Order: sequence, then structure tokens, then C-alpha cells
Amino acid sequence: MTETEKQIKITGKEKPKIGVYVCHCGINIAGVVDVFKLKDYALSLPDVVLAREYKFMCSDNGQSLIKDDIEAGLVNRVVVAACSPRMHEPTFRITCKEAGLNQFLFEQANIREHATWVNMNDSEGAYEIAQDHIRMAVAKARMLLPLEVQRVSVEPSCLIIGAGIAGMNSAIDLAKEGYKVYLVEKTPTIGGHMAQLDKTFPTMDCSACIITPRMVDVAREKNIELLTYSEVVDVAGYVGNFEVTIKKKPHYVDQEVCTGCGACVETCPVSVGNEFELGLAPRKAIYIPFPQAVPGEYTIDMENCIQCGICARPDICEPDAIRYDDKPEFLKVKVGTIIIATGWDPYDPTPLKQYGYGRYPNVITAFQMERLLSSYGPVLGKPVRPSDLKAPHSIAFLQCVGSRNFREGGNTYCSRVCCMYATKQARQYKEKHPESDVYIFYMDIRAFGRGYEEFYESAAENYGINYIRGRIAEVWEDKNQNIIIRAEDTLMQTPIELKVDMFVLSVGLEAVANAAEIASLLSVQRSADGFFMEAHPKLRPVDTLTDGIFIAGVAQGPKDIPDTVAQAKGAASSAAVLMAQGEVEIEPYYSVVLDQLCSGCRSCQSLCPFGAIDFDEFRKVAIVNPALCKGCGTCVSACPSGAMIQNHFADFQLNSIINVAVKQTSVENGAK
Amino acid sequence: MNEKKDLKYGFFLGCVAPNRYPMIETSIRAVFEHLGAELFDLEGASCCPAPGVFRAFHIPTWLVIAARNITLAEELGVDIVTGCNGCYGTLRDAWYELEHEPELKKMVNEHLAKVGRKYMGNIEPKHVVQVLYQDMGIDYLRGFVKHKFKDLKVAVHYGCHIVKPSDKRPWGGEYECPTFLDEIVELTGAKSIDYKDKFMCCGAGGAVRTAVKEVSADFSREKLENIRDAGCDIIIDCCPFCHLQLDLGQLEANTIYKDMIIGKPYKIPVVYITQLLGLAFGIDPNRLGLVKNHDLKGVSPFIPIESFLEKVKDQLT
Repeated sequence: MTETEKQIKITGKEKPKIGVYVCHCGINIAGVVDVFKLKDYALSLPDVVLAREYKFMCSDNGQSLIKDDIEAGLVNRVVVAACSPRMHEPTFRITCKEAGLNQFLFEQANIREHATWVNMNDSEGAYEIAQDHIRMAVAKARMLLPLEVQRVSVEPSCLIIGAGIAGMNSAIDLAKEGYKVYLVEKTPTIGGHMAQLDKTFPTMDCSACIITPRMVDVAREKNIELLTYSEVVDVAGYVGNFEVTIKKKPHYVDQEVCTGCGACVETCPVSVGNEFELGLAPRKAIYIPFPQAVPGEYTIDMENCIQCGICARPDICEPDAIRYDDKPEFLKVKVGTIIIATGWDPYDPTPLKQYGYGRYPNVITAFQMERLLSSYGPVLGKPVRPSDLKAPHSIAFLQCVGSRNFREGGNTYCSRVCCMYATKQARQYKEKHPESDVYIFYMDIRAFGRGYEEFYESAAENYGINYIRGRIAEVWEDKNQNIIIRAEDTLMQTPIELKVDMFVLSVGLEAVANAAEIASLLSVQRSADGFFMEAHPKLRPVDTLTDGIFIAGVAQGPKDIPDTVAQAKGAASSAAVLMAQGEVEIEPYYSVVLDQLCSGCRSCQSLCPFGAIDFDEFRKVAIVNPALCKGCGTCVSACPSGAMIQNHFADFQLNSIINVAVKQTSVENGAK
Repeated sequence: MNEKKDLKYGFFLGCVAPNRYPMIETSIRAVFEHLGAELFDLEGASCCPAPGVFRAFHIPTWLVIAARNITLAEELGVDIVTGCNGCYGTLRDAWYELEHEPELKKMVNEHLAKVGRKYMGNIEPKHVVQVLYQDMGIDYLRGFVKHKFKDLKVAVHYGCHIVKPSDKRPWGGEYECPTFLDEIVELTGAKSIDYKDKFMCCGAGGAVRTAVKEVSADFSREKLENIRDAGCDIIIDCCPFCHLQLDLGQLEANTIYKDMIIGKPYKIPVVYITQLLGLAFGIDPNRLGLVKNHDLKGVSPFIPIESFLEKVKDQLT
């Protein structure tokens, strides 16, 4: 018999002796209601043997009060009336545990968020609500049963979805710590959006020069299994033990025998827009995305391939590497942790028709501008405007395209990088063409990072970039395909009309198009803006609410490269904590089947969203897998014979709460 | 392709068309008949009433009169259709308000009860262009096109009330750059030319024409300047009030802003959408109010449309 089992035995037999501890929370609670009166009220409740109040129950001294009472044998159930259990339930559970009481014999009444905070100006009302909460907590405490936490082992491996700068950094850190990493990337190359950038603000580092060594590191790292051109199609299991199915899309080229000579590319007759160049340059149906792609594997894009067979001819592909009948492969891996690093998509400005994108050739997005400025881009870093391929004499940028837009169809948030990338691109163009005129139309310049304000100041002072505060109402094209801008200069308080050769839209960052799909695959939450939601905006910024799953980079919300890398390393570290511990505690809120009541109808099995219910064919009863069960209670409410009990939230426990919540009201109304 | 649809409407005329441009009414009637649609007269119809005037002074009055007009079509059990943007604005906005504000509907019906009427809200106010584009559809219309006009460059003028406010209009929230009228125009083979400030007001709306004629003429002048710059042959509109402003307004702009106009005075033919469409369908130009007699002498109160007829005449055979 283990120590805990002994305790359970003892506690189960004992009559409840409940201690109620009312917290002042400084003046958060005590400033609104009379905590001394609340304490006395608690003493009047059944099975309450003592009640105390203290300034901060969560402080060491406050916890000691509880501990001493338990150790002295005065109480065997604990109710703390304080803040939300989200804040301090773990604290007080540990207190109980340390004093030798089963931690599930603790109940918290939230009289701060539910009573005093929301009724700051109504002391009487708040007091009444606080009473209700304490009465309900005590009622449940009388019915509590000791439970045992479960421990499950954690597989020392991590799945990372997305191999941009975030995913790569997490992968390298974890691999170096000795954990196996499966790095899954949906495109044929790693590197993500950062590989498409020319220079990075504010240091003007060459983006490709700093990311390509990282890409090579990833490819070299023994502990990283690189799965490019692959997608996660199924995730089962739970923290520490996820079972992941990965689909490796067919390349239609046998990478084992391909020598990478590139003869196939030269002869391929199909030409389509290159995604890496944002459609500014063509690629063939058989291609590698860009010269430094990792891995440097050729892929046939079957959407556009006409299967003419030229690339497969022996005189073209000497090693005979073309496989038109290549099939997708499915790989199953077991991982302990998962990091979501799926990045972002640029906002598509086509619906904002007033800016002419898609209608006028000389209106482009800033990401296209980035490729035009890139020394290895389609025009080798000498930007030209699309209509006549001449270098523009004047360029206007418009900020916040699709961002900070509270009308329908836009994103309400600030994308955080656009002010700086526009300033950077403007400076780059001025360096190449000092005689040109460059304008930036903005709402506010948000130069928040280290060195950013100086970078912006210098752009205006030393580079002569014209910052105009005001939105652009509309643009149109003249006969020479120049863009005429109508705007308001809100600082000069005057409407302006301006003719420029090229117009660049500083589009914001959006959650990836298939974010909803990924969220449901992994059972993680998304915020209203579409990005994946962190468990706590301040204190748990890399965790999700699903244990064992973490987020890194722009997948969680727009951020620049330094912040992305920092978060990626944070996510790797959090994942490593779980894996280093080797096992993890799971709360015992799972459902239990009462065999003698179960009729074997299997209703619960079909409803369980986590696949946690199996069926015993021999005894014809349902069986719950405690590790998979998340304690949602769906099966409990569905069971027609009342055979499902959910630990800690059993019917008799919940009914006891409801009974006292309702009864008290009728007494006061004199109905009894 | 030319299958008959169940197209029945109560025809709300408004004021400008019957008083100034009967050819707009006659062309709508001719084209609808040609397309197999039936138009019923709305006996006892009043002023819509004008959105810029009545609504600006007293909303309940505006609402009650508009609701009364809608009940005329409700009695016939058909949707109400108008060829005027202003009437459309009033009827549709009033309909929308009454759909969404039960209190207003109650108030309106209290007033209507005094004249023995009741507003139900079971029909939809539509614009002629809306019927063409949505009830019939581009593919349906295409089946009727007999003549294609090559080299005809058209300045399409939408006007305001047909697209705004966008949430009360049937164009899926589109307000910056709608294309429905351009699509109908281009069915005829003509080319819709993109010109500067295409969606600018004609100058007449909001009682500006009545109150400050110089301002409204200045609006028209700017608009006409942009249209002429883009090299357009004619103006196509879908509103009798815009029609008046762009037609008569040319004379006014030519007089008031004589010194500001670069080049010759303005003389751009203004044609209503169903006149152009009817011509492409092969309907007799007489019935479209385009010509007085068979020598193709054009009907037009202010700006002659001969240059337009000259341009399309050879393609009508």
C-alpha cells in the first residue's frame, strides 16, 4: 500500500472537518466586503470546524496557517475563498499535499473575480455573492473524494511544424540538447519567408547571408529528421505520447539517383509563376525553388506538368531519376512534444479596390518589392516597375494595408513589422537612386524595437524620405501608367494629389490560410485574429492550452525576426523541460465506468472527441483510457444508464453545489 | 437560352423621368417587354420622396410616404422597380429600415391606417439595373444581343444611391469599384473606359443642384473634363437625375465656367442604359426614344446625340 493509498483510506473513512480560509487579497476583497463577517458566516455552515481570515492567503504565512491546521489534525478538507483557481489552485494544492492531505480534498471559492471585482460599488451585493460562493464550495468540499494524479512518460522527441526561421531555431536547440526532432515543412525547401527577404532592419544584414548558414546547420544536424514537402495529416495521443502521421508528398523525382544537374529544368517547356519570387519571375514545372534551397531537391509540380516526357528522356536525365508514378508516402512517428511554427501569409490587398492592386501593373506589394530589391531576385536588386521595366523615379509606400482596419474585411491588429520594412526598403531604394523621390504614407510610425527609432529618424533626416501622415483615399492610373494618389496630409491639413511611378502596398501579416485546419488537427485554440493562442499572454507565451504543444514565431502573432527567434528558443526550452523531466503529471479528472450499470450501448464511444473510450468485447462494457481522457464530461451527460462518473465532477458533487445554491434563495424568500 | 422567367414588377416612375426624360421611361418599357418582363403601373404613386430633401428635414415623413409607395406594389404582389437612383435610394433604405426596426414599422402603419393602408414588407424594392443584372443575369441578356458596337468608348456613370450605403444594397458589400453596370454596357460590344474619379457625384444630388447651381455645375465640369480626357464617345448612366445634370449640366458648365474649360465646350451625348441595351437588342430606335423619325434625327433636349447615332448606325443592320 503506497503512502497515498493509506491516506485515501484514512480520509475516506473520516467525517469531513472543513477549514475555510478567507483571503483579504489586500483591499481587493477586504476593501469591498467584510471578511470577518464572511468568516463567521462560514463557521455557520455544516461540517465547517474552523474559519480564518488573512491578508494574503497565498503568502508563505497564509499557507502556513493552512498547513498547521492540517498537521494538527484540526481539518481534513480545505476551502480557500480568494481569487480565481486559475491563479492559485496549484499553490494551495501543493500546500495541502505538503501537509499530508490529498490535494484533491481542496476547493477554491472565487470571491474576487466573481464577487468583489465585478461589484466594487455594491458592497452588500458583493457580500451576498461571496456568501453564495463560499456556501457552494463548502457543499462540494463535503463530497470530495481523494484522487491520485497520474504520471505518464514523455517521449524524448519533438515534432516541429514549419521550417522557417522559428522552426529552424527551435529544431537546432532541441537537437543539440540531444532530442530527436522531426522538422516538417510543406514547401520543398526550408527557410520560410526570411529566405525571401533581401536585407533585415535595422542593421541592414543581408537576410540570405544570415539564414543560409542556419539552413545548412539544420540539414547537417544528426538529430533532426528533415521532412520537406510534407504535411502533418493526423495527430493522436496526448502530452508525452503523441502519435503523428506525416504525409510526404511525391517529388516525382528519385532523390537517391538524381545528381542535381538541372538538365530537366532547361528542357521543360512549361513556364509558370515562381512562388518564391511572388510571381515576378517564371519557373518551370520541374524546379528547385531558389538556388540555395535546402535540401536542393528537384520537384515536379504536377498541377502544371503536362507530362510531355521530355525530362524523362535518357538523353536529358542520364541517371533516369524521373518517376511520373511516384506516390505519397505516409510516415508514423511518436513524439513527446510538438512545436507549431507555421508562420504567416501576407495580406492579399485585392479586395481593397481603392488601391488598384491587381488592376494597375505598377501597384505591387512590399513583399514583391523585397524580391525586386533582392540581389538574387528576378532583377538582381535593381528594382524596375512592372509596366515598362524601367527604374521608377518616384515611389510611394502606403502603410497599414489591411492592418489596423476596423471595417469589414481588414485585420484590426498592427502587424508590427511594416513601418520598419517600408523604411528599410525606402532607404535601400534611395541608396540605389539618390535622385529619386520616395514617400511613405502612414498613420503612426511604430518604431518600437532596439535601434528602430534611430533607423527611422535617419531615413527621414539623412536619406530624405518623405513621411506623410495620412491615408490614401484612392489611386488611379494616367496614360503612362503612372499612379496618381489622392490623399490627405493630416499634419498640413490639406488634401494632396501626387503622381508616382510605382506604388507599394505595405501589407500586413495574417495567420496562415490553413490555420483552422492545423488548430483542429492539434486541438489548440486560436485568438479572434486567427493566430494560435498562447496559454497566458504574459506568463505562458509559448505554451498552448493543450499540454505538450507549444507555439513559436508569427504563428502566435506578428513579430519581427529577433522576437521570432527569441520565442522559438523559448518554445524549444519549454518543450525540453517536459522531455528532460521524462514524465508528466496528468490531473485525474478522467471518467470512470461503473461496469454493473453499463449496458454496452457505445453511445459514449462515438461521442468522445478524444478517442479515449474503448469497448471490452468480452464483458460488453466501455473502458476509459485515463491518459487520453480530457475530462470534458461529454460521455457522462450522454450515458443513458448513468454508468459514467467523472472524477472530481461527479453528479453527487455537482448536485450538492446546486442544492445549496438554490435552497438558500428559497429560504430567504420565505418559500419553505 | 431565351427561356422566359417569371419577371413581374410594379414600375415606379419617380419625377424626373416623366417630367424631363420620357425617353428613359419608354426605353425601360421597351427593353423589359423585349426581355419577357411585365411592368404594372402603380396607380396613385407619389414622389418617392427625394432622399436628399425629405429625409434631410423629417425622417418620419420620408419613411411614411416611401412606405405608402411600396404598399402600392405590395397590393399587386410584385416587387417594385425603379429606373432612378434617388427613388431607389429612398425605397430601398426605407424598406431596409422598416425590416430592421419594428418600432418604426409600427409608427408607419399607424399613419398608413389613416388612409386605409398597411405596410407588410413582403416585397423588395429593386433598380432596373438590379433586375437586369441579378433577376435576369448577364447570360440571359447576352442571348438577346443582336448588334455589337465596335469602337464605341463609353464613360459609365453609376451615380451614388445605386451603390451606397453598401450594406443596404444588393452588391455584396462592394462600394469602391463595382462592375455590374460596366458588364451590362460591355455586352453591347462597347468598351467601358476607366476614367479619373469615375465614382464622383454628378453634381446634382443632395439638393445641391437646387440650392447652389454653380457648385453643381463645377462638379459636372470636373467630371466631364475627366470623361473627355479619357477619350469617351458617350456617357451611359442609370439615373434620370444624373442624366439631367450630365446633359443640361454641360450647357451650364459651358456657360458658368467658360473660362476654365480647356478646348471646345462640352458636347458629349448622354444615353440611358436601356437605350443602349435596346439598340443592341435590335429594338426600333423610335421605341427607345432615340430618334424622332426614320431619318435618325436624334431626340435630346439639351446635348445632341447625333454623333452617337452616327457611330453605331452602320452596325445596326
